[in-house]
Amino acid sequence: MSLPVSQMWAVASYVVRQKLAGRKRYPLVLMLEPLFRCNLACAGCGKIQYPAQILRKNLTVEQCLAAVEECGTPVVSIPGGEPLMYPDIGRLVEELVARRKYVYLCTNAILLKEKLEAGLFAPSKYFSFSVHLDGLREEHDEAVCRDGVYVQAVEGIKEALRRGFRVTTNSTLFDGASPLRMREFFDEMMDLGVEGMMISPGYSYSKAPDQEHFLRTQRAHDLFSRILSRPKRRWRFNQSPLFLQFLMGKQEFECTPWGNPTYNVFGWQRPCYLLQEGYAATFTELLETTRWENYGKRSGNEKCRDCMVHCGYEPTAVNHTFGSWRGFRDTVAATVTGRF
Amino acid sequence: MTDGATLEGWMPEIGPALSLAEVVEKAFDYRGNVTVIRTDGSETQGYLFNRNADGPVPFVQLFDLNGGGPHTIFYREIRTIRFTGRDTATGNSYAAWLRAKEAAKAADRAEKGSGSTPPRGV
Repeated sequence: MSLPVSQMWAVASYVVRQKLAGRKRYPLVLMLEPLFRCNLACAGCGKIQYPAQILRKNLTVEQCLAAVEECGTPVVSIPGGEPLMYPDIGRLVEELVARRKYVYLCTNAILLKEKLEAGLFAPSKYFSFSVHLDGLREEHDEAVCRDGVYVQAVEGIKEALRRGFRVTTNSTLFDGASPLRMREFFDEMMDLGVEGMMISPGYSYSKAPDQEHFLRTQRAHDLFSRILSRPKRRWRFNQSPLFLQFLMGKQEFECTPWGNPTYNVFGWQRPCYLLQEGYAATFTELLETTRWENYGKRSGNEKCRDCMVHCGYEPTAVNHTFGSWRGFRDTVAATVTGRF
Repeated sequence: MTDGATLEGWMPEIGPALSLAEVVEKAFDYRGNVTVIRTDGSETQGYLFNRNADGPVPFVQLFDLNGGGPHTIFYREIRTIRFTGRDTATGNSYAAWLRAKEAAKAADRAEKGSGSTPPRGV
């Protein structure tokens, strides 16, 4: 794992506090979507298909901060839409950092260099760009349905690193991904100097244009096993090693749908970041009135059957680390040996 | 969504064969604007982003065409819902992208006088 010690400590102490308080359900990472607008229209994305008046809407910074306060997670992820198109993104990040929240700004990085040159952000241990890259140039440009985006993103990464920012990458893998090319991609990201990488299989959004290339469970296990077997020591991942083992089929986990709750212009999304089955006005209402038993693999819900996405299973992995000696031992072993 | 059925333009009539709850569910799932027709004949157009059929007073919520709202309308006030806006989730942009990529590659190959491209990865 490549997380700074202070961040690991913040997450660990938060989880222990939740357990000591006897909380059965607690969130870990807030997915804060201040807008749905995006400057890309990726085939695998189901987040941006809305009428114009919805795409024009922005949460206010105050709404964002109220959601952060209400939810209370130590980590805030800002996806979207493209957050660099959010008019108040600089102020939002500044306010979150001032509250000592660990912030991941998830961006396609098309605007990154421009925003950095405009002085919109300041480096901080609390703030990281999480650049969306689904592979090397050819694969990434195909995934985002536009040529030239990979090159722009890499330029943005270099500029951010040069200015002293934390930079991670997030990659979504679909059926047909090449293990060899992904390993080459990991090498290239390490050569660039990113702090760590995050990987996850794609989710079959019912509204996404491309429905043919989403991974089913066994194929996902096979793919991630081929990618992550014999990992190079220099590869650094910005996520739980137990989650990576889960992707490889070495851990049996159940989804924690409340682990990464989502707040956006519609409110608190039920039940999770991926499924949109309604909205709650408050986080408490979300927790108390969502029928959680209807979600996860064991529920039999076919929308959850093949889902292995990080937003549901990474919280499970973290909970497992701090909830059992075996989980703690496996996490330490994978961290120390660099093997999954 | 790939090429497929869309509810765009659908003007359902609520009756024994089709309940309001069913139409509300379809409107909730629809990624376009709808027009809610009230029992008093008044109309509200917008994006229906939420509904609660299980509460003591079932309701839907919309943002109107100017983004204003959310407007809450109770089920008991609704006569029907018409699917009047463009379905933004329909179409085949991924297929179109692949076709465009293939056409560009073919043109490139023709220009270079080569008949094949190397395979990608393993």
